[in-house]
Amino acid sequence: MRFFGRLQNILDYAISGLRRKVLKNCAVFLVFSVVVFLFASFQLINRALTELAGEILDGAPDITVQQLAVGRQVSIPLTGREAVAAIFGVRRVDERIWGYYFDPATAANYTVVGLPGLLPGVAPKSWAQSEVAQLFSPGRPGRVVISPAVREQLGLDQRRFFSLYRPDLSLASFEVVADFFPETDLVTADLILMRLADARDLFAVPDDLVTDLLVTVGNPLEIDTVAEKIRGLLPGVRVITRQQMLKTYEVVFGWRSGLGGICLLTALVTFVILAWDKASGLSAEEVREVGVLKVLGWQTTDIIFLRFCESAVVACTAFACGYLLAWLHLLLFDGGFFRPIFLGWSVLRPAFPLAPPLVLADLLVVLAISVLPYLCATAVPAWRAAVVRADSVL
Amino acid sequence: MSFSDRPSSRLLQLFILVLLVGGVLLVIQQQHRVEQGKRVIQARVMTAALGLSDLALSTEARYTRHPVASDRVVMVMDHPGGIDRFPSTSFWAPPH
Repeated sequence: MRFFGRLQNILDYAISGLRRKVLKNCAVFLVFSVVVFLFASFQLINRALTELAGEILDGAPDITVQQLAVGRQVSIPLTGREAVAAIFGVRRVDERIWGYYFDPATAANYTVVGLPGLLPGVAPKSWAQSEVAQLFSPGRPGRVVISPAVREQLGLDQRRFFSLYRPDLSLASFEVVADFFPETDLVTADLILMRLADARDLFAVPDDLVTDLLVTVGNPLEIDTVAEKIRGLLPGVRVITRQQMLKTYEVVFGWRSGLGGICLLTALVTFVILAWDKASGLSAEEVREVGVLKVLGWQTTDIIFLRFCESAVVACTAFACGYLLAWLHLLLFDGGFFRPIFLGWSVLRPAFPLAPPLVLADLLVVLAISVLPYLCATAVPAWRAAVVRADSVL
Repeated sequence: MSFSDRPSSRLLQLFILVLLVGGVLLVIQQQHRVEQGKRVIQARVMTAALGLSDLALSTEARYTRHPVASDRVVMVMDHPGGIDRFPSTSFWAPPH
């Protein structure tokens, strides 16, 4: 009890001391909170997006095979399909034509995907079966499924027909048979899904070429072996396994990105300035205060502890404020401060709530990078203040 | 000076307020995660059915729309020395 009584007394005195220099401490609190807010917001958005990517791409194809030529991705000959299908362990190979369609009227980029049919697996519950059958049934070309955002960009309202330009500037007509549900915006926001033949016609892709091959492997344990065999079989191909996709998304939102670097640099510079301010010397008022305290019987350790309490109160309250604001920013404002940056100049902007998991390690990282350096930076000035001799200043 | 008047007790009150706000945010976060879980299930089904490889977060550049399936060294892809000009690329680390 005696310890807590002493702690409370020192805390009382430390807070009173902070109040005496209210303007300076408010400024430190404000800067500290902003830095923690920036840092934590970026980290939480990264965490949310990485988790989303990991969960959603769990359904991605086992292996995607693309052709490279002079360092760029080009169309892959269909002859590769038979070669891959003949590999032991391959259950199915699907060809796909996909690409980007830039709409000059709205400056929007649509992703056009052409498939011969739905891939094996769970049938999408969000589509009425009749609509899917309608899209992939033979005989009626030019049917598509689009997202609500694409419908809005094309200005379709309730209309079903629209046209896109082929490379020779002739018009290809399409009929919308269904819309993707808004819940799938995270993967379909800019998608126009059509049959393979229609995509071939729209992009004028020769009959013997496709964009890539999607390989389904019977035994998931054999995916890497099959991928290796494909690499050996088809010269100059890039083979992407589902595991590689997931790994890419694990690192793609990270501190190595430009914005991450800016956040880190901002935090670093801020704490250097704060530490420099603390360490740059003691004011005459502070020295006199220490002298008076020593005359009143305070020990050197008490004064060091007092300074530590002052720093801890500022750092911890600013940390709590910045961290809570970061969560508010994400949960109530959907990361509105960073969203314009990671959406960039995109015309089609998928709406999705960001809900990162609460991970103790994330909280500790922010704590370690903000509060700890500040407390360490204030240790030396605290010691310098504490060793002042009372008789030399009074 | 009574306990409630002491500066340290004010700090304690502030700490309790922070915990309360944190608790409210935690409830909101859980609600968001339930909603997100439903979206993720639908999106995963769509990914499997259509063989999709990437999230449709940023549609401005092919290497932010499809970081997995597009060319990896992209900054000079359009022409040698070409400057990377898209804002969203500042958010994406180069995959390796």
